[in-house]
Amino acid sequence: MNAGYVLRRLLGAIPLLFGISLLLFAIIHLAPGGPLDVYADNPSVSPAALEQIRKAYGLDQPVPVQYVLWLKSMVLGDWGYSIRTGRPVLQEVTERLGPTLELGGLAMLLSLAIALPLGTVSAARRHSLLDHVLTFLSFAGISLPVFWLALLLQLLFSIALGWLPSAGYQTIGGGSFGDRLAHIAMPAAVLSLATIASWSRYIRSGMVDVLNQDYIRTAYAKGLREPGVILHHALRNALIPAVTIIALDLASIISGAVITETVFAWPGIGRLFIESMDGRDYPVLMGLMMLGSLAIVLANIAADLAYATLDPRIRYD
Amino acid sequence: MTTEFSRRTALKGAFIGTAALATLRATPGWAQGRGGTLTAGLTYDIDTLNVYSTGYLGDVQAAVVEGLLAPNGQAEYVPVLATEVPTLENGGIVLTDDGKKMTVTYKLRPGVKWHDGQPFTSADVKFTWEAVKNEKFIAESKDGTEDIESIDTPDELTAICRYNTVAPDFASTLFTFGILPKHALEGKDLNTDPYNEKPLGTGPFMVKEFKRGQYVLTERNPNYWRKDDKGQALPYLDQLVFKIIPDSNTLMTQLKSGELGLVVQVPYNQAKQIEGVAGLETIKGPLLSWQHLDFNFKGPKSLQDLAVRQAIAHAMNRQTLVRAQGGFPEPIKSPVVPVFKDLYDPNTPDYPFDVAKANKLLDDAGYAKGGDGIRAKDGETLSYRIVVQAGRADDELAEQVIIAQLKAIGIAAKPDNKTGVAYREARYKGDYDLIYGRWITSADPVYSVFYGTKGANNGQGYSNPKLDEVFARLENTLDPAERKAHAAEMQKILAEDLPSIPLTTNVAVIAKTTKLKDFVPNPTNMTNFVDTSRWHLEG
Repeated sequence: MNAGYVLRRLLGAIPLLFGISLLLFAIIHLAPGGPLDVYADNPSVSPAALEQIRKAYGLDQPVPVQYVLWLKSMVLGDWGYSIRTGRPVLQEVTERLGPTLELGGLAMLLSLAIALPLGTVSAARRHSLLDHVLTFLSFAGISLPVFWLALLLQLLFSIALGWLPSAGYQTIGGGSFGDRLAHIAMPAAVLSLATIASWSRYIRSGMVDVLNQDYIRTAYAKGLREPGVILHHALRNALIPAVTIIALDLASIISGAVITETVFAWPGIGRLFIESMDGRDYPVLMGLMMLGSLAIVLANIAADLAYATLDPRIRYD
Repeated sequence: MTTEFSRRTALKGAFIGTAALATLRATPGWAQGRGGTLTAGLTYDIDTLNVYSTGYLGDVQAAVVEGLLAPNGQAEYVPVLATEVPTLENGGIVLTDDGKKMTVTYKLRPGVKWHDGQPFTSADVKFTWEAVKNEKFIAESKDGTEDIESIDTPDELTAICRYNTVAPDFASTLFTFGILPKHALEGKDLNTDPYNEKPLGTGPFMVKEFKRGQYVLTERNPNYWRKDDKGQALPYLDQLVFKIIPDSNTLMTQLKSGELGLVVQVPYNQAKQIEGVAGLETIKGPLLSWQHLDFNFKGPKSLQDLAVRQAIAHAMNRQTLVRAQGGFPEPIKSPVVPVFKDLYDPNTPDYPFDVAKANKLLDDAGYAKGGDGIRAKDGETLSYRIVVQAGRADDELAEQVIIAQLKAIGIAAKPDNKTGVAYREARYKGDYDLIYGRWITSADPVYSVFYGTKGANNGQGYSNPKLDEVFARLENTLDPAERKAHAAEMQKILAEDLPSIPLTTNVAVIAKTTKLKDFVPNPTNMTNFVDTSRWHLEG
């Protein structure tokens, strides 16, 4: 792996993102309705006021012209102005990015810390009672609806026990570290559960494949103990399939967790997306979707680079 | 997840139900406890705190920014920053130019101060009109600005507004929403000014902190002009906090855990949860919205046949519809909901539930039942596409009831439900045969937008010149008796020509902690927070 390769990949991402932006722009404009339709039921918004708003946001221009205007503001400026709030999109997005990264980041760290040992143990003791129990729990974890689990946790920890605040980012006017930790505990737990369940499955199956390889048998034959074999010889190779999934899941953090954020009143990107979608707030939608696309493209590059680091046989030049 | 309670789509004006009155009267003037924090839950993400550009009702703004007038709990206008409500009788309204124009004179309350200590004067009133009217200001609510020709301010406490027309609904717009501070906003760009995050008002509470997507923290205004009966300073509460909780289940959880003390919009299906929870109580009050089944006049030919529309009206059992929605809505027969005592005509003809009569109407009109039990005439089968807003559980339930009731008279209906903006587009462009939904009016209701030939909300393609003429008379008259007569004529025409079947009207379910006293529900578009200064917490 060399710097030239990374640079080429990054440069290659530019036309890709450009193409994505064209597609996204076309798609949101093809969806029925427009940003001003939210006012349609409203008995006192006059057609003249609507016309004025339409002009002010350039919605009276042909769609290709709107695209060029949007592209210009995206590349050079503040990503345009939100039709709903009248504030710069960049400001809207950065305000929500912090809480989303905190929640998503913590959930992913938790997931990795728990899924890695679970998957490894499950594979090392495959077909044991422990493996079966973990398999069962994983499927349960994947199948549980997030909102339902969230409601149960709120019922238990906020109403019955009164230990944790049921929702929100911080106490009003407060916001000490401990206070925020109490607020993030339930949403992070809910968000990581399904991830733990699915990641541990990928790690297990990768591990099972590797453990059947000849070189593992050789390692045992030369007298290595099991932890050494698994940690030094098996794990690195077993991680390669899982890395793809983990990288994409990490990228999806930035798009926010819509359901978790809504149920726990978390001021994140996911909720901003839903609010903007409901109002067809084109500039904010475009900003959010481009951010999400950028994250996916970067995560793919990062995953490719991680392969090479994990497995010396994979080389890019 | 999000409730689209667009500011003026919602509830301008209503009265309190008798049950609510009983609750309120149980707590007369006790020794009012001072202080404390009340936390209210809001279900929407606030866009801006500027009353003129928000897309929502403006609950927070109502506690912070005041207008010249405001509707009280009975939807009657009462003076706030003005000292009296201008009327023809008290000389506040004078008709000019042979009754084609009018002049409204507001006498302003002396001694009122903005949150920053500056005095409130008639210059602020004039500035508000100019600022909202300004083309560069991108606002949703400019209603009323174009009707004013000029404003004179002969002294600091008098504002004379010269209207270029007779506007019976002048009180429900401009100056009622709120007055803008001239000294802080003159020459500023209202689209981007920090005012939108931290509005400067004259109200009982001042915005201390606005965390987007989280909460708005407001604090007691120490210089508030209103005093209680004993001459003590108001408001009683130290803090009023608005917490943004988009999920209605979480809203209920927070009420039960005591993290919230007030929720002004409890969904019907969750109201039952709150009943019986210690420390919480619910209050009910009617709303100005109503549910209706509409016909598309550009659609199937059979729907243009009055007999078919009448038969469908007789097929509707409103009691079943009410039960399907938890027993909360109330049956109606006119789009003028009974809340509007001055306009509602109890003699409006109605179509009682009568399946036999409905069947006979269709039989007589020549719609014969086919082998599948569905009627047809001249090759057209009575099989319709019915649209409701997908995801609204109450509406989808009602739709099922309507489909069953139509089937009983040999009419087939297939759901073609749509979400959000797609639903609205179908509704306004007439992409349906039958549509079930709700409309809402302001406290000064205007019906020509729904049923007028050129009505902005008329997606049905309905046109009745006789009705248009009644609308024109109704909407250009200030005299209450004349308005009542015109409104009765309108209701009669609507009932006889039947473009729409009014089915049910709604109640607002408000949940609050039992500690909160002197809370007066105000389900107008000025929200429940329009008069917060006397709220206080006991125990």
